[in-house]
Amino acid sequence: MRNPLDSVLGTVTSGLVLTLVLVGLLRILVTA
Amino acid sequence: MYVETAAIDLALRWIHLVAAIIWLGHNYVNVILRPRFVPLAVAGPAQVLTEDVRGREWREHAVFRYASIVTWTAGVLMLWRQGILVDAFLLQGYPAVIGVGAWIGTLMMLNVWLVLWPHQKKVLGFVPAPPEERARCARITFLSSRTNTMLSIPLLVLMAAGSHGGGLFV
Repeated sequence: MRNPLDSVLGTVTSGLVLTLVLVGLLRILVTA
Repeated sequence: MYVETAAIDLALRWIHLVAAIIWLGHNYVNVILRPRFVPLAVAGPAQVLTEDVRGREWREHAVFRYASIVTWTAGVLMLWRQGILVDAFLLQGYPAVIGVGAWIGTLMMLNVWLVLWPHQKKVLGFVPAPPEERARCARITFLSSRTNTMLSIPLLVLMAAGSHGGGLFV
């Protein structure tokens, strides 16, 4: 199976998805 | 007293940013130069490095390895001077925003020193290794480098959010 990091698009998309997940978790963490 | 304090904080922030650009600049350039992973040609003749090329390769890799330490240290000092070092790393309250960034940055520095560098030494021929081993290491260094590129994206968001856009979190 191809690793998403094998392409530029995959690297950037992974980074953006990770950003969204972390920002979502942080909002919960900080406002809790 | 305020002037000295502000000047030290400004200097630390500047050092942090410049060292981070030197460090991550290597990652971003690598994405442009080698957009996709190309397996190392195992069948080809072994790479013979002249002393000149060897020296330049060594310096280039040393520059971003040590830049990672400078970046991390300046970041920790900034948090410490602001009195939020512990809260940041324990993800307590508002410092949790930069704290998640600090954890990501810590992982990235460990990635450089403990994952990338031991394998990169074999790929570049600083440490002798059979062709199959070098090919295996080339894949690991590629993924290690790309992982840091990917992690830098949320890290930059969190760094910026430490000073700007804090209202988004409360």
